[in-house]
Amino acid sequence: MHTLIRTEALKLRTVRSPWLLLAASPLLMIAGVSGLVVSTGTDKALDTAAQSGALAHVGVTSILTLVFGILAVAGEYRHKTITDTYLSTPARGRVIGAKLVVHGVLGAVSGVLSSLVGLGVAAAWWADKGVSFEWSDSSMWTTIGGGISWNAAFAAIGVGVGALVRSLVGAVAVALAWVALVEGIVGQLIGDLARWLPFNAGRALGAGTEAMTTADLLPRWGGGAVLAVYTVVFAVLAVTTSVRRDVS
Amino acid sequence: MSAPDAGRREQVIGTWEGKTFDVRDHSTDPVPADAMSGGITIDGLTKRYGTVTAVDDLTFDVEPGVVTGFLGPNGAGKTTTLRMLLGLVTPTAGRALIDGRRYAELTEPRRAVGAVLEATGFHPGRSGRDHLRILALAGGIPGSRVEEVLDRVGLADSGHRRVGGYSLGMRQRLGLAAALLGEPKVLVLDEPANGLDPAGMADLRDLLRDLADEGHTVLMSSHVLSEVAQTVDRVVILAGGTLRYAGPLTELTAKGETLEAAFLRLTSAPDTDPATGATTAPAHR
Repeated sequence: MHTLIRTEALKLRTVRSPWLLLAASPLLMIAGVSGLVVSTGTDKALDTAAQSGALAHVGVTSILTLVFGILAVAGEYRHKTITDTYLSTPARGRVIGAKLVVHGVLGAVSGVLSSLVGLGVAAAWWADKGVSFEWSDSSMWTTIGGGISWNAAFAAIGVGVGALVRSLVGAVAVALAWVALVEGIVGQLIGDLARWLPFNAGRALGAGTEAMTTADLLPRWGGGAVLAVYTVVFAVLAVTTSVRRDVS
Repeated sequence: MSAPDAGRREQVIGTWEGKTFDVRDHSTDPVPADAMSGGITIDGLTKRYGTVTAVDDLTFDVEPGVVTGFLGPNGAGKTTTLRMLLGLVTPTAGRALIDGRRYAELTEPRRAVGAVLEATGFHPGRSGRDHLRILALAGGIPGSRVEEVLDRVGLADSGHRRVGGYSLGMRQRLGLAAALLGEPKVLVLDEPANGLDPAGMADLRDLLRDLADEGHTVLMSSHVLSEVAQTVDRVVILAGGTLRYAGPLTELTAKGETLEAAFLRLTSAPDTDPATGATTAPAHR
């Protein structure tokens, strides 16, 4: 397993596209936090609630780690490198397992970097406005922790989506349509049940309970538990379907 | 399987009354790559996709030390057969064995079998050298082999370049380099001549000849019959997923018939044709 993990890491190190994708996260943080400060204007104070609101953007960058995860398997099908991968390691379940680990960890690392950038940008804006930044605010830190977990979970779920759909374009389209359209529209149809859907579970975990959605969200721990279940389900489906399917 | 037994006789460690006994049970020992016989056994191999039978009850052997051509019209089931041999496609029935084992049961598959498949690809943004480094790492092969195989296929100067900028011939050479990386006993090549220029073709022919002479097993599918006629010792011919001929090339062309004429005759005739049956059976046994 150690060799497989090193192999997956080497695959990522030798191409640029996944890193360009993840590099968008800190840029999103700069834009998101700045946008929040600018739109707040002078009528509303920059307080601890605003701090949590600013750092809630960490969770939103999980859309990028989702696509990053999709690239793991669907990207190998796209470039037909999956054949060589399975010729090297006929135990396909272990290959998918290594991809889940490596992408999950890098999803978390991406979340940590987004958080650092977000904290830096927020603190700079607060200083610029002459407001003291409350570093010890626990609500902000749980928001950050939830956002990092959400990044990791969506990277792993992305690996699963890519393994199930296999077509790179199809998988990315399905995932983004789900997050941007389906969950919202279906959510209105099923009302209260919408809180159990994966993106809303992520919101409960990492986006804070305010401002970003009108839907009723689960408590933070509930969102975390539901997201963990989705992650495990996608991981198991990724392994079982990859082991069975013909590669041609 | 007789070949693995021959290998084991050298490991005899018990003698009694002048007779020697192999007192250990080797049935579960992993077979080291260099102790492999390298024979390929296709036994009743069948693949159905819904109602379509792509490969139908195929049985033949491929021997070490010779180059075997794997021929058939488009859609004959060649690629599906090779993919089943390599564990990428699961057979509906039958077995495809390398040294008596399924591909997935080989302890070090990259050291045992090298494959060039038509559908194998490369990430366009990754260099040829990095592609090979990944395969070496995953296959437990020393990194120093990467430079050796790049040099062997004539890509030493292009290894650092992204594969996206390679010509078709260069990609074929890179695929060949990947197959040779683990110094495997068995080589399986699906249309390796595609996209190669005349010089590349000659290089490939020499390489396959050398490998066969060293005792490797070489199974190569191809459309280019004139190329096959110059390269192979034995041929296996498929049509419609069934076996039409398996045997020496010389036997096929013994009556003055060209390979092309024999190929067209064998692949156009229905497999129930008594003439074909008569040709196939003795040659295969």
